Amino acid sequence: MNNSLKSSIPTDREVILGILNNSEETLNKLYKAYFAMVLQFILNNNGSEDDAKDVYQEAIIILYNKIKEGNFELSSKLKTYIYSVCRRIWLKKLSSNSKKTGNITDYEDVFAVEEDVEQHEEKDMQFVKMQSALELLGEPCKTIIQDFYIHNLSMQNICEKFGYTNTDNAKTQKYKCLQRLKKIFFQTS
Amino acid sequence: MPAKVKENIFSNIIIEMRNDLELDTIIEDYLLGKLNAQEVDALEKLRLNDPAVDHKVVTHKVFLQSMNAYAQQLNLREQLNRIHSEIDVESLSADLKPHSSMIVKMWRSNKSLIAIAASFVLLSLISIYSIQHNSNQKDQLVLLSNQVNKAIKTQNSLIRKLNNTTTTGKPAIQNSFGGTGFAISTNGYILTNLHVVNGADSLYVQNNKGESFKVKSVYSDPQNDIAILKISDQNFINLSSIPYTIKKNASSIGETVYTLGYPKDDAVLGEGYVSSKNGFIGDTTQYQVSIPVNPGNSGGPLLDNNGNLVGIISGKPDQTEGAAFAIKSKYILEAMRAIPQDSLGVKRLSNNKKSLLSGLKRTQQIEKLQDYVFMIKVYN
Repeated sequence: MNNSLKSSIPTDREVILGILNNSEETLNKLYKAYFAMVLQFILNNNGSEDDAKDVYQEAIIILYNKIKEGNFELSSKLKTYIYSVCRRIWLKKLSSNSKKTGNITDYEDVFAVEEDVEQHEEKDMQFVKMQSALELLGEPCKTIIQDFYIHNLSMQNICEKFGYTNTDNAKTQKYKCLQRLKKIFFQTS
Repeated sequence: MPAKVKENIFSNIIIEMRNDLELDTIIEDYLLGKLNAQEVDALEKLRLNDPAVDHKVVTHKVFLQSMNAYAQQLNLREQLNRIHSEIDVESLSADLKPHSSMIVKMWRSNKSLIAIAASFVLLSLISIYSIQHNSNQKDQLVLLSNQVNKAIKTQNSLIRKLNNTTTTGKPAIQNSFGGTGFAISTNGYILTNLHVVNGADSLYVQNNKGESFKVKSVYSDPQNDIAILKISDQNFINLSSIPYTIKKNASSIGETVYTLGYPKDDAVLGEGYVSSKNGFIGDTTQYQVSIPVNPGNSGGPLLDNNGNLVGIISGKPDQTEGAAFAIKSKYILEAMRAIPQDSLGVKRLSNNKKSLLSGLKRTQQIEKLQDYVFMIKVYN
């Protein structure tokens, strides 16, 4: 497993081009290439496997969004970047959990990623906001909205899925749901 | 949706009550780019004329963007989770915990605690070692004491060997020794160490003005190493009142004391404190004081700040620098009782009730004291 992981490490250029082209395969390779490194870091610094997963995924999302935004400048190796981001995130988590933070290894910042992490936190807040708004919406509205806006189902499909007698009914239902969702979403902002 | 129907709807909206549902659908289609050019024109006109519609468009645009971003991130997260599930995390972490043994884990998580514990162990080892080291020294001292007892402490005695006799009119004789003594009465009784004057052929005392007087030994106490001399010189003029008194109770450790003595031809002040209640190897007749003394200090008076006589400087330990032993003052009293009280006169030390040195500065005390401290010169 380990060997196969190592052999499939993509070049940094490959990763950037792949993400810009929405290549799922590239994302897959990228993810598997550096997870072990982060897992080791987290395990050695009072973290669990789940912590490693959360931290690593956040770092990948940060990298992904940065590349997608088109303003990613490769000033270091991707590996270094991911490591720095993960360490930054983990440090923040440790200090917010008020665990002992003094003895995290390699405390000094190899790479200034603070800004990226903070930007991501803002984005993440937006994400959480929408998520919690959908949760507050309740069923069946949540699923209708998700199906329409996220899974891009047609109103016809939704009508069939939910057993509405005609699409107009489905549309009315979706409209009502959307009104409520918008109300919740904009209220909390 | 056929264009004609939509046209109808538009007119309906304008003419009749707005149908919010339909309007929203149109706005959404507009934002998603699903309307044709004609419909776009119509809606944009409507936006210009009706701020409420414009607001709806803007709000929905923001909402759609948020939803879009949410959908993207959600999609990405799902993708990552899918990838993650393909990884065998357990075996990987088993590999990556390079030392998963309990001891190493403990070491990793408690590094600082272990370090502290280790330094404590180290510290206590050091202190145990130094305690052992000390007890070794004690053993050496005990061994030393046997030798000293045999040699009657002579190696510790502070007798100064006088190499040349500069005093005028006195015969220059080899093998002369010096010590210190002090007056215990105004009529010429002087107290010193027995080891200073022991075995002497002839004895002289010299005051701070450089005048020498012949003395003879009138009393000796080998047990306490005390000798009392009497000036038998016709040139000797009686001293004025003895400025110091005898301290009757014991001195405590830490009490400041000083001595005036003749380790050389001029009087030398030595100052320090009582460092131990007992003297050489627990000798209860002595104090240990931390005053640097030299040969010649033997027999010197040891006084406290108020001018009370605490003891007589009598020797110093071989091994320890800066320490001296002093015979406790109560043995001075004992020695003085051995002398016929009449011969000591009225103005004797044991009669003094109040020290004249009390409350004076050290310099003034020395000024008064120096007339009563003599250099003892021994010829044999």
